Amino acid sequence: MATVAERVKAVTARVLRVPPEDIRPEHSFTEDLGAESVQSIELVAMFEEEFGIEMDEDAALSVETVGAAVKFITNVCKEQGVDVEE
Amino acid sequence: MGKAKKSHPLADATRPNLLEDVFPHTLPPLIRLNGPIIERIDGKPVEFDVSDIKSRPIFISDTTFRDGQQSLPPYTIDQMVHIYDLLSRLGGPNGVVRQTEFFLYTKNDRATLDKCRELGHKYPECTGWIRAVKGDFRLVKEMGLKETGMLTSCSDYHVFQKLKFASRKACIDSYCEVVAAAFEAGVRPRCHLEDITRADIEGFVLPFIDRLMEMSEQVPEELSVKIRLCDTMGFGISYPGAQLPRSIPKLIYKLNRECGVPSDRLEWHGHNDFHKVHINGSTAWLYGCDVVNTTLFGFGERTGNPPLEGAIFEYIALKGDTCGIDTLAITELAEYMRSIGLPIPENYPFAGRGFNTTRAGIHAGGLRQDERIYNIFDTEKLLGRPPRVAITDKSGADGVAHWLNEFFGLKGEDRINKIKVHKLARWVIDQYDEEGRLTAISDKELEAKAREFYPEYWKKYRQA
Repeated sequence: MATVAERVKAVTARVLRVPPEDIRPEHSFTEDLGAESVQSIELVAMFEEEFGIEMDEDAALSVETVGAAVKFITNVCKEQGVDVEE
Repeated sequence: MGKAKKSHPLADATRPNLLEDVFPHTLPPLIRLNGPIIERIDGKPVEFDVSDIKSRPIFISDTTFRDGQQSLPPYTIDQMVHIYDLLSRLGGPNGVVRQTEFFLYTKNDRATLDKCRELGHKYPECTGWIRAVKGDFRLVKEMGLKETGMLTSCSDYHVFQKLKFASRKACIDSYCEVVAAAFEAGVRPRCHLEDITRADIEGFVLPFIDRLMEMSEQVPEELSVKIRLCDTMGFGISYPGAQLPRSIPKLIYKLNRECGVPSDRLEWHGHNDFHKVHINGSTAWLYGCDVVNTTLFGFGERTGNPPLEGAIFEYIALKGDTCGIDTLAITELAEYMRSIGLPIPENYPFAGRGFNTTRAGIHAGGLRQDERIYNIFDTEKLLGRPPRVAITDKSGADGVAHWLNEFFGLKGEDRINKIKVHKLARWVIDQYDEEGRLTAISDKELEAKAREFYPEYWKKYRQA
């Protein structure tokens, strides 16, 4: 099973149309990876779909970097009883 | 100048102060006035206690069927009767919309008046409108009207250039003969002082008013002359310090306090040639004129008259209460006007299709959090019109979410959050980025997409 970080990177690459190898944990979704307003919404929606979770809208949209998203999603998965590979 | 003279310490707070005593949201924002206003007139300071407006019996009169109709194709009898019926509902049982005036010249004019009166409404009272011709009182009398407006134009543009009187005295004598004929017929004359904001106030208007007041003293109170101040060309100015003949405060002062015309016999009639029409009407109210003459949606000669619906919201804002007014009738009247082919601009306040529609995503975001941020008042309660979002490339996911929730009628916890609208938001963006679209997206298109992307909601909320 792929880790949370790998799955986050794959979703990010697909939604933002950037090569996965170019994505780093410290990258900001908007400033470094160029996510526009609707793409930020799509990212959250795709993370929910990927992990089978529901995230708080405001909290999820306030996550700025890839690394922070990995941590945030890991916590939500734990809270919602979803098994993931860390 | 430019150097700070007083420091202003921050009133720090952790909870918002939404100033709800002024912005109750369930009513239009209230107008709180601190009186008195001082205006210098003839070199002396004169006080106007504007704070008495809350208790003064001010009213709205209507000329939708007279001035309002002069700028439009004629209404049919049935249309006028329906509008009259709605005007009555709008003004409510206290008669905030107190009077409306009718032409009396044609068979249709008279049939309309009869049919309106057959409805049995107390308000608006029906009055007439005639030329300043003695013989015309026969029409007023035959129709059983108690009051009629009559033209008594007062600028030299009218007295000499239009009406060709030999002198001002000859003009006043002629007008007074007609007023005497009105008294004789038992009809109250309402003298329409056309073009007063371009007249010689001291040299013509005030001597004429003095004569009218003398004549009025000889007849019962219910026949005494009313005065309509007609700002025929929209030249009136509301600012303190403006000079006669354009100053509304000074005009009202002269008639009210120098000539002694009581406030309840003074009426303001404006035109919108300089975009001042609504505020000029409100100013007349404040300075002692009890009645403001209006038309529905401001339809009227050239640029129009004070819009009735604007006066309605001004009235509520000044009084702090709806006073029996049924504001929902405004929306019904607007729909009716559109249905009979009279266009109301999209962005027209209170009645245009888009008056409370935002196109900016950032505003839609605000609306989503708290409607009060970007809605002037509770437009759903007062006008049956919840705030809307028009969808364009600027709407963002907030705008799309707002539209979708309104469409499905979802409130509170049931509302679809921004994350869940991503498919529709993407489709919208692609319309512009990928398809090169330049127009707003219609509700019909969005409805089709809502059905496609959210079948479970469609089934639950649109098919139920």
